[in-house]
Amino acid sequence: MAESKPMNPLEMVAYVLSKQVNDHEVVYIGTGLPMVAAILAKKTHAPHITFVYESGGQDPIAGGMPWSVGGPETYRKSPMIMEMAYSFGQAACGLVDTGFLGFAQLDMYGNANTTMIGDNYLNPKVRLTGSGGNNDVGSLCEKLVFVGIQSPQKFVPKCDFITTTGLMVDGVSRADLGILGKGPVAVVSTAGVYDFEPKSGRMRIKTLHPGVSADLAQLASGFELLRPEGEIPVTEVPSPEILEILRNEVDPQGFFISMPGA
Amino acid sequence: MKFSYNQEAVKNLKIEDTSILDRLVDYRHARDWRQKKDHSQRDKRMSHSEAIAEFVSDGDIWYCGGFGYVRTSIQSDWEVIRQGKKNLQSIGSPNTNQSYGVTFGNMPFTHASYAGAEMRGYDKYFSENVKRGRVKILSDWSHGLMALGFKAAQLGVTGLYSKSGLGSDLVKYNPYLKVMNNPMVDGNDPCVFVPAIFPDVACIHVHAADKFGNARMYGPAVNDIAAAAATRKLIITAEEIVSNTDIRWNNKGVVIPFQNVDAVVELPYGALPGYMPGAYYWARRWWEKCFAMMSEGDEAMEGFIKEWILGTKNIYDVVKKLGGSDFIINNRKLARAAEADNEDDGVSFKYEPWSPNTPPNVYD
Repeated sequence: MAESKPMNPLEMVAYVLSKQVNDHEVVYIGTGLPMVAAILAKKTHAPHITFVYESGGQDPIAGGMPWSVGGPETYRKSPMIMEMAYSFGQAACGLVDTGFLGFAQLDMYGNANTTMIGDNYLNPKVRLTGSGGNNDVGSLCEKLVFVGIQSPQKFVPKCDFITTTGLMVDGVSRADLGILGKGPVAVVSTAGVYDFEPKSGRMRIKTLHPGVSADLAQLASGFELLRPEGEIPVTEVPSPEILEILRNEVDPQGFFISMPGA
Repeated sequence: MKFSYNQEAVKNLKIEDTSILDRLVDYRHARDWRQKKDHSQRDKRMSHSEAIAEFVSDGDIWYCGGFGYVRTSIQSDWEVIRQGKKNLQSIGSPNTNQSYGVTFGNMPFTHASYAGAEMRGYDKYFSENVKRGRVKILSDWSHGLMALGFKAAQLGVTGLYSKSGLGSDLVKYNPYLKVMNNPMVDGNDPCVFVPAIFPDVACIHVHAADKFGNARMYGPAVNDIAAAAATRKLIITAEEIVSNTDIRWNNKGVVIPFQNVDAVVELPYGALPGYMPGAYYWARRWWEKCFAMMSEGDEAMEGFIKEWILGTKNIYDVVKKLGGSDFIINNRKLARAAEADNEDDGVSFKYEPWSPNTPPNVYD
C-alpha cells in the first residue's frame, strides 16, 4: 500500500511548495514539481486557484498530470486558450499573482540559471534547456517561488548564467533594473524554506525540514544563508491523507515524486 | 539596410560576420518578398515532398511550429532531413525538435530558446552538440521575448518594448535584444527592445485547411498565428483538406488566412510522434527511447535517426513503425480522454515506460 511507504524528500518538497499557493490566486506553472505542488494545492487547501501555462492553456478542468506545459491537461475544456505572447502579457499586465519555477543554479539574491553550466558559454560543461518561459515568469509575475534540490552545486555564490533575474544583480536592485513585481519571495528546497531579507535582498532561512539543522542547511549551500532571530521553526510535514492524495491522485505514475533509483 | 546589433552579444557569441543575422530582422526584405508573391485565391495543394523541395532552401531560417511535442510539424522536420537540406537556422519557442536536425548538418544554427523534454530533463544530445560546436547559437531568447518578436511582425510594427530579460544574461547573448530606456518616461525606466522577427520558412501543422490555405486549428496556437504572418514562405500541412465552404461555415479556430500560405499539404498524422489536440496522443515510448538514445551519444542517435527518419519514406511508414492500427486506435482514445472529449471514466493512461525490453513497434 502506498501509505505504508515513508515520505521521500521530493514528496516533502511538493507538499511544502503547495503550501506556498494561496487560494483564489492566478498562478503561472512550470513543468515538474511546480505542477505537482499546484495540483496538490488545488485538491487540498486552495481549490479556487487558476492555472496559467505559457503555451496558452489556462483554467483547465481537472485531468491527469500534464506531461508538458503545452499538453492537453493544460487546456482541458478551458474557457479560452491564449497565444504565447498574450499569456505572458497577462502577467505583465498584473493579472497573475505567483509564478513557480525550478532552477539548476540559484544565488543568494534569487537569480536563477537554467541555461548553461561552466565558465565558457560557447563551450559549456553542460548546455541546459535554456530559458523557455522562465525569464518571463520571473520578470512579469507579481511574486515568484523557486523550488529545487539543495546542494552547494545548486545554491551557488554566482550563477554561471543569469537566466531569470531575482532581487539584485551586481549591486543593482530589481526595481532599478526596471523589472516589474516583487520578484522572489520564497525558495522551497529539500532542506528548508527560505525567504528574502527585505533590506539586503538576501536569502534567509524561514523554516527547516525535520532533522535538518541550520548548520546542515549551510553545508548544503555555496553561499552564506542568513538566519532569522530566535529559534528556527520546523517545516510542517504532510498528513498521511495528503500524502495519499499526492501519490494516488496527483502523480500516480510517480514521474515527479519518485526518488531516482527508488 | 545596415543593422545595429547588440555589440556585447555579438562579441560574446563570437559572430564574426553579422550578415548571418540580418534576414531575421530585415522587415523590408520580408515585406518585398511577400509583396511580390501571387496573392490570388488559387489551389495551392501539393505533395509533402514537393512542398519541402520547393519552399525550403539551404540556409533558410526555419520556424518550427507548435509547442515541443504538441501540434508540432515533426513530419516536416523529418522530410527536411530526408531531403538533405543544409545549414538551416532553427527558430521557435521551444526549439526542442531541432535536435535530430543537427546530426547530419541540416540545422547547425539556432536561435535558442528551450531544448529539452520538460519533465524528462534537458536534451543531452543537443547539449553535447553545443559543446562540440556542431550547433552554433546565434541568439539566446526567452519564450516571451521571442513571442513578442513574432507578434511585432504580425502587427506590422518594427519592434516592441518589453519588461522581460532585464538584468539577465540573455541580453548579453542575444544580438537582437537591446536594453533601452522607455522613451515615454522622464527618468530611469529600462526596457528590452525586441525587434520584429521574420523567418524565411515556416511549416505549421493544423487540423484542417482549404485548398487556398485558410487554416483551422484547435488547442494552443502558441506562436503560430504570429509566425504565419511573419514568415516569408509558409507551408501548411493539415490533417485534412476541407472545402472553402466548410472553412466559412465553421470559422471558429480559423486563424491563418490564405494569403500567408504558399503550399497546402494533406498530411494526416503529420504531428506524430507528437500530440495532436483532440486527435491523437503522443507516442510516449518513442520519446522515451529517443531521449535514451540522445543520452547514449552519437552512434546511438545516428542509428535512431537513420532508422526513423531516413529509413522511412512517409507518414505511412512512420505509423506502421509506431505500431500501426493498434497505435492509432489506442492513441485516438487517449487523446479524446485527455481532452475530456469522450467518457474518460475508465480510460487508463498507465503504461510501462520504454526500456530496451519493450517489444518492437510498441510506442504508445
